[in-house]
Amino acid sequence: MDTMFVSLAVILGGGVAALLLCRHFTLMKLATIATITTGSVMGLIFTLSRLLSDTPTLETSWEWLHIFTLAFKVDSIALFFLVPIFLISPLLLFYSFHYMADKAKATRTAINYFFFAVLVASMALVVTAANMVTFALAWEIMSLSSFFLVVFDYQVRANRQAGYLYFIFAQGGAMFLFAAFALLYSHTGSFDFSSFAAIPEGVKLLVFILFFLCFGSKAGAFPLHLAKIQSAPAAPSHIAAIMSAVMSKMGIYGIFRIYLLLDATTPLLGQIVLITGMVTGVLGVVYALARQDLKQLLAYSSVENIGIILIGLGIGMVGISEQNQAMAFFGFAGAFLHVFNHSIFKSLLFMGAGAVSRKAKTTNIDQLGGLMKRMPITGRTFLAGSVAISGLPPFSGFIGEFLIYYGAFQGINNHRFSFILAVLAIISLAVIGGLASACFTKVVGLAFLGEPRTDKAAQATEARSAMVMMMILMAVACLVIGVLPEPFIRLAFAGIRDVPYLAGYDTQAFMVIVRHISQTALLFIALFLAISLLRKILYIKKEIGSGLTWGCGFTQPTVRMQYTGTSYAAEMVDFYRPFVPIKRIYTGISKIFPGKTTWEMEVDDVAAVNYQRGLVTPLLKLVQKLLWIQHGNIQFYIAYIIVALVGLLLYL
Amino acid sequence: MESILSFCFAILIAPLLPAVIQKVKAAFGGRQGPPLLINYYTMFKLFKKGSVYSTSTTFVFRMGPVVGCVTGLMMLLFFPLAGIAPLFSFHGDVLILFYLMALGRFFTILAALDTASPFEGMGAAREAFFSTLAEATVFGILILFFRITGSLSFAEFFSGNHPITLTGQHGALLLLVIVALYIVMLTENSRVPVDDPATHLELTMIHEVMILDHSGPDLALIELGAWFKLLFYSAFLARLIDPFQFHNIWLDGLLFYAVVTFVYVTIGTVESITARYKMNLVPKFILTPFALIFFVTILTMELIK
Repeated sequence: MDTMFVSLAVILGGGVAALLLCRHFTLMKLATIATITTGSVMGLIFTLSRLLSDTPTLETSWEWLHIFTLAFKVDSIALFFLVPIFLISPLLLFYSFHYMADKAKATRTAINYFFFAVLVASMALVVTAANMVTFALAWEIMSLSSFFLVVFDYQVRANRQAGYLYFIFAQGGAMFLFAAFALLYSHTGSFDFSSFAAIPEGVKLLVFILFFLCFGSKAGAFPLHLAKIQSAPAAPSHIAAIMSAVMSKMGIYGIFRIYLLLDATTPLLGQIVLITGMVTGVLGVVYALARQDLKQLLAYSSVENIGIILIGLGIGMVGISEQNQAMAFFGFAGAFLHVFNHSIFKSLLFMGAGAVSRKAKTTNIDQLGGLMKRMPITGRTFLAGSVAISGLPPFSGFIGEFLIYYGAFQGINNHRFSFILAVLAIISLAVIGGLASACFTKVVGLAFLGEPRTDKAAQATEARSAMVMMMILMAVACLVIGVLPEPFIRLAFAGIRDVPYLAGYDTQAFMVIVRHISQTALLFIALFLAISLLRKILYIKKEIGSGLTWGCGFTQPTVRMQYTGTSYAAEMVDFYRPFVPIKRIYTGISKIFPGKTTWEMEVDDVAAVNYQRGLVTPLLKLVQKLLWIQHGNIQFYIAYIIVALVGLLLYL
Repeated sequence: MESILSFCFAILIAPLLPAVIQKVKAAFGGRQGPPLLINYYTMFKLFKKGSVYSTSTTFVFRMGPVVGCVTGLMMLLFFPLAGIAPLFSFHGDVLILFYLMALGRFFTILAALDTASPFEGMGAAREAFFSTLAEATVFGILILFFRITGSLSFAEFFSGNHPITLTGQHGALLLLVIVALYIVMLTENSRVPVDDPATHLELTMIHEVMILDHSGPDLALIELGAWFKLLFYSAFLARLIDPFQFHNIWLDGLLFYAVVTFVYVTIGTVESITARYKMNLVPKFILTPFALIFFVTILTMELIK
């Protein structure tokens, strides 16, 4: 346990070093990255060694401010969620060495590194917290530090707005967290997590829903995902990556932890999680398909992956309430593995998006194209990440989804409602998989392949070495996990070791399947190489010509004739219309010699539209009526406080 | 040994069978049609040629045909053709195989988008759209088969403790499955009424438009992949239709390939007597089998306890 705290101290030290050295730009970056990496490696060694050997849970606590106790507990679940924190953060920092290359923003970069360190440490504290005070403290530090990371480019108005929205969502979520804690405390009179199971059954559901609102908004579950979508394009790429790939998993951790702590008997909890997962997954990927901004698309794709993870958790919870051990085991294990895999390929994709935004100066897919030739390594690694995130073998995304499928299929022999739920889960996974392929063929096919649509894209060059190296590393990891999944599946199994009900489940039979999957992936690769060789042989001494793309006799093609992201997705998005409001603006052709006409299509987020209509507008109306309270006269403000205090004292 | 021979035979015969479709269509049109070996001629002709590549393309364009061909081969490697155990099989193989098929599609779409052609983008968008709809049906079928057989492997679907046959307990349900799978086959293999491999209108539709720029051995590989895929779907249907097991390799094989040929003949018949749908009607057509399968799955709730 002390090892972990030492490693966190080192990480924080790295952050402080950044502030102290902010006048020496390169030195500052090197020192910070080296220190935080050292800390993370220490943390990772501690985590993995404990996770892989069957060690008992660690607990520790100390007094804080004489009234509160800060308590920490490290069980297998906490350990598993620590892995992406300690693994991904230093890799993103290496990437940032060349990504944050603007010397003029040295001070700001230093502050960014400082909050990065704070964020990493606070996330580690969130997963190890063992009572309400510790958890709330760590949670708030995490939310606030990430807010400062988002508003790095605060001069841009849109970024400030995104940061503001992020802040509102973070604090709104925290409000639900405190409400839930208050409700629990009123029943148990204890801050300790282990007391949760004692509260009455009826309250448990309410408490769970309150927690779900808080953690769901952090994870990005539909319809609480808006802040996540807005903050991703605003934040620097490595920040967007750590938020999507690692921090949103804290929401997943919260949901899972609270579920275990409450130990409720009602099947409703699992059903809520499962149904939210299906809605989140399908709508997330449909909206991803509809977006033209690369970073926003990736953010929506994170929403989709959170959906997949929630489906996995939901399958597990339904399995537990149905007393179907296999279903529960593979549901949870699949969700855990997908948490791990997603943290890798989503980081990879955000790194790619960052490289594109640096070199092509835009992330709008409709203005990109032809980047594969201009940024060969970024393009190839992005392709690998895209195959992985679409859940296709032989890459890593498939393995997590396979476990979830396997769990869901174990539920097919259940009765009635849980059977229907299992069926729906499998079909939504299939639909999500298909749409994710469509979404990422769009990104790779239109942004990286074809011809550049603008001069900006045509002049792009390969990203710098630190960025490129990290992308290669991540892409290789995606392939390795896909081809040799066994150790990683064992890691996920180790993660759910401390979940009650699952103890003693025999995984021998499943490991045989895993080996077969690995062999199938190898067989596929071998066949691929064989056929490629055959193709090479067939082309020996052949005439290879090159010319323009066939244009049906048209000899003057322009780049604007290519399909765009909008047109590629239009039909698919249109199919989901009731859930996806589409605005089309067409000026029309009226005269005999028509003037300039325009056609625009905009896809709104159904959640945003309804928040606007149902929440924001009425709230603004109400608040405007109360505007007279705020007059800027400080004496009166103090009077308010006194009146409120007196009122409270009298009442209590 | 039998498995290897069976696999090799399937690979050899895969180009022959689509010619049956052409023959049937020719017969309906009162023509003689091409010789049955036409596809072998075409293949060797293409193998002998060189290629012309668009200056827009990258390595992805050259990878597309290879991945497509390999995924087709993978399906045949895992499928129990003619009642003979496949070369590879394990519990859960159907999931990885249908996902591999999606991988083949992924690269075909990318290869099409790589050409920067407006036509091919259109075909790619349609392919991506329709396949997501068909995928839901396929997984619906897998759910049903898992409920019947308790297995997730092609080999065990037909030879496990509770094999799927028309004469079995669930024969009536299977009739609906056959219809659904047939429609999925038409969709996934770009046949009429979803797509028309023969003509080039409605801006050349789906599959044909996506491979416009491929030539020479690349095109041959694409064709091979498509033939393997069609053979896999027909074999799947044939195993569902054909309830007889003689436990004699020759007899079983003969009957199996007779039924497979029958499936090809019906494809030819469908192509001769129906017109292709307008593109905006296709999603409804593809959702029909999904509705069927969902209905069948609900039916099993009370039938199988």
